Amino acid sequence: MIEITGLKKSFGDNKVLKNINLKIEAGSVVSILGPSGSGKTTLLRCINFLERADEGNFQFGDQKINLKHVSKKEILSVRRKSGFVFQNYALFPHMTVLQNVMEGLVTVRKIPKAEACKKAEDTIKWVGLADRKDYYPSQLSGGQQQRVGIARAVALNPEVILFDEPTSALDPELVGETLDVIKKVAQTGITMIIVTHEMAFAERISDKVVFMDGGVVVEEGSPRDIFVNPKEERTQKFLSRFIQKDMYYI
Amino acid sequence: MGDYFSIERFLKLIPKIVPQLSVTFAIVIVSMVIGTLLALVVATLEIKKIPVLQQFLKVYVSYMRGTPLLVQMMVVYYGLPLLMQTIFKIDVNSWSPIVFVDIAFILNEGAFLGEIFRGAILSIPIEQTEAGYSIGMTGIQTFVRIILPQIIRSIIPAYGVDLIGVFHNTSLVFTIGGILDIMGKAKVLGTATGHTLDGYVVAALIYVLISLVLKIIFYRIDKKLVFERR
Repeated sequence: MIEITGLKKSFGDNKVLKNINLKIEAGSVVSILGPSGSGKTTLLRCINFLERADEGNFQFGDQKINLKHVSKKEILSVRRKSGFVFQNYALFPHMTVLQNVMEGLVTVRKIPKAEACKKAEDTIKWVGLADRKDYYPSQLSGGQQQRVGIARAVALNPEVILFDEPTSALDPELVGETLDVIKKVAQTGITMIIVTHEMAFAERISDKVVFMDGGVVVEEGSPRDIFVNPKEERTQKFLSRFIQKDMYYI
Repeated sequence: MGDYFSIERFLKLIPKIVPQLSVTFAIVIVSMVIGTLLALVVATLEIKKIPVLQQFLKVYVSYMRGTPLLVQMMVVYYGLPLLMQTIFKIDVNSWSPIVFVDIAFILNEGAFLGEIFRGAILSIPIEQTEAGYSIGMTGIQTFVRIILPQIIRSIIPAYGVDLIGVFHNTSLVFTIGGILDIMGKAKVLGTATGHTLDGYVVAALIYVLISLVLKIIFYRIDKKLVFERR
């Protein structure tokens, strides 16, 4: 469904992504792991054009895009087929929970207000925040805000949802509720790409795990391949801290 | 004391001075409306940091903020006709003094409000724009639906203070071409009757009352618009 070939991105002299090739099957859940500065967030942002890749080819469904000469129309079309969940939620502070989730439906999808409201309410209920729908983001806990962020993305029925470290800004006791919702999203069969540091979670939820370091994909494979039998030394080293902890979950 | 100020004269002057508020208000409204538009342009251009233009804007803003409005009015009143005559060969001496005052106020507001707007725009995190993009909005939709409402909410208090400042600053306009705003009228009546203080007390009262009303209005708007914080 998504295929990236030869993607490169630099910030000035700093080569953040060096020739990335990645294939994501429809309906699969792909986790991207790696140390800080490995370029995983930048890669995710490039997929949604929040960051512009310098070169490479990008295929989204049957839409083929040359990343070097991408048009505004192509960008908009990709964004309208994908959702993005931000590390720091990035909810609209001047809107209630309901308005946050409705915004894309009404302004972008041009769905009539009553229908959009119904759809938004259903999605908010689905993430377990029915009683908070008239609250402003500032009145919610981090975990609740992130669930609204997920609802905002899910309500638009995107073909793929990109999660950028969705639990990294949360207090430890709030991580669980957010991961539960992400798991629920995965169960709907929607394609997901997750950049995360939650190793145990990535192992349980993913169909494919991608390990990145220094701007390249070092290794990719099933969670078992990566967590239990990593081939590359860099992967082994990175995961050595987590593997034992993970064993408790299995 | 009796001769300097009498309640009787004071009361008599009120109906003579109050109608001149229309002159004062006209200046305030014109300079706020057009000044706000100019300020939006100034703020946007400043943020875009276009070479040359950026330096020009810096000079413009520091001139407007670094010189008294009275001086700026004089420069416009005496300088603009000369400039128009020399460059465009247009004789603007027949223009009403009000026009020059309006121009001076608009230029002044463009700089002051421009700085307020610039700060407000920069205070909105980049993630807000990205969040708008991520749900498929265009740049314009994101600005109108996401960024602008947040800017408006954050500038309301400063905008109110600025508006009251402009209202007070109109008390300078009578120095140009004998414009009869409330201050001008108070001065003229004082000279004509020989009792200076009465008229100025009337003017002072009007300024206080209207400032208070404006302050309350903006306080209410602020209360109403500000979404729950914390």
